[in-house]
Amino acid sequence: MTLRRVAVTGLGVVAPLGNSVGELWTNLVTGRSGVHRLPAPLALGLRSPIGATASFDGARYFEAPRLRMLDRVSQLALVAARQAIEDSRLDFSMEERERCGVFVGSGMGGAETTEEGYHTLYAENSDRIKPYSVLSAMTNAPAAWIGIDFQLLGPMLTYSTACSSSAVALGEASRRIQHGDADVMLAGGAEAPLVVGVLRAWDAMRTIATEDPHDPSASCRPFAATRTGLVLGEGAAFAVLEEWNHALARGASIHAEFAGYGLTSDVSHITRPTIEGQANAMRSAILAANLQPEAIDYINAHGTATLQNDAVETAAIKEVFGERAYAIPVSSTKSMHGHLLGAAGALEFVIAVTSLTRGAAPPTAHLNAPDPDCDLDYVADRGRVLPLRVAMSNSFAFGGTNAVLVVKVTAF
Amino acid sequence: MNTFDTLLDILARDYCVARDTVTPESTLETLGLDSLSVLELMFKIEDRFKVKITEDTPTDLVTISDVVRYIDGLLAKTPTVRVVKSLETPTET
Repeated sequence: MTLRRVAVTGLGVVAPLGNSVGELWTNLVTGRSGVHRLPAPLALGLRSPIGATASFDGARYFEAPRLRMLDRVSQLALVAARQAIEDSRLDFSMEERERCGVFVGSGMGGAETTEEGYHTLYAENSDRIKPYSVLSAMTNAPAAWIGIDFQLLGPMLTYSTACSSSAVALGEASRRIQHGDADVMLAGGAEAPLVVGVLRAWDAMRTIATEDPHDPSASCRPFAATRTGLVLGEGAAFAVLEEWNHALARGASIHAEFAGYGLTSDVSHITRPTIEGQANAMRSAILAANLQPEAIDYINAHGTATLQNDAVETAAIKEVFGERAYAIPVSSTKSMHGHLLGAAGALEFVIAVTSLTRGAAPPTAHLNAPDPDCDLDYVADRGRVLPLRVAMSNSFAFGGTNAVLVVKVTAF
Repeated sequence: MNTFDTLLDILARDYCVARDTVTPESTLETLGLDSLSVLELMFKIEDRFKVKITEDTPTDLVTISDVVRYIDGLLAKTPTVRVVKSLETPTET
């Protein structure tokens, strides 16, 4: 069976460091960090009171009655999705809507609503749970609202595989197009985990980076010997994926070709990654893209800055690329935008596509002390101008679902 | 301020309803309030009118005048002196 080609025709982001792809990109290549000390109510009781917030006020986008029905995660998702659609210049009124769908990845769903409900019950001793709580908190709310707003009558699904959720959503969406089930798929992820309960739960896991005493914005240091963990971030990122000829026929501007998607599972331990699982996901994505490992010009790493992940991911990259691993620029942009959990894969996919269109690899910030176990070219501190043709984006997760996406320039 | 006007304040502020479009005959549905919004409206009525709703929300509240009549019924059952909060006081739950 010949698979149909998939074009990336629209991108949208609402994230730390930028509410547009251009703004985000400028901040990333110059090595700016969106990590900061959290304000008092959130910071209370945290060992490490840091996070990466999106500069986003839902009231600017939604009227009060609508706003009350939308958890922050859905607000972020709707705004980023609209941006991606506007970027694609798609007019859904001209489309066969049954052939258009939406896939979203989210790890924690409507965390703010859940927290508000518990606060009402246990802190206020009140029974006034908001009537919209269930509809607002459910993990599939962002996908549902996007489907409703844009009247997408094709497949609508939500994937929740922790930190690889939105990479899975993008990968699965690409397959729907490849296999002829849909022509246009809006795919991405959203996460809004910066609420007390979620922050405290992550804090209790001891996976959050220690706050840098001199510069809180430099607390997340992927691949560095001094790395101490991840920093939670919030935001949403979406891409419009479109069947190649469908995009050409309407004269769309194609950012890149969605080339391959690899999916494997670790099944070792609920948190511990495996070299084999990650390496096989990368191999599988390269194979799906009909490419050889030599073709990969840039890797946007999962790079969480936990001790485990960065060492295992480095070993997995070496396993796949051999000696050439040392010649590939590999960066973790989480050093700057933090870890967006379920939205991370989509945000980093947008960054990978943009690295192709802008011809530059974004850096890994705060890489001041090399770790002997992490000895690849991590593009330290500042971005590097490079004529990139093929980029890979890695997303690995608690629970063990590894998802890898490969994109290439249109003329490759 | 009478019950109708106070209810209008709530609808205008929290539900983006244009005041001049509302008559006693307007239905909640045409003003954009679905069944869950009506449940939420009850919390706001409790706060604003200083009444306590102890029973389930009646299902026959269709028009604005139904709601006004319902609120007036609650007020009649409320023995204490009532002070209607000013608009500046947040009534969010």
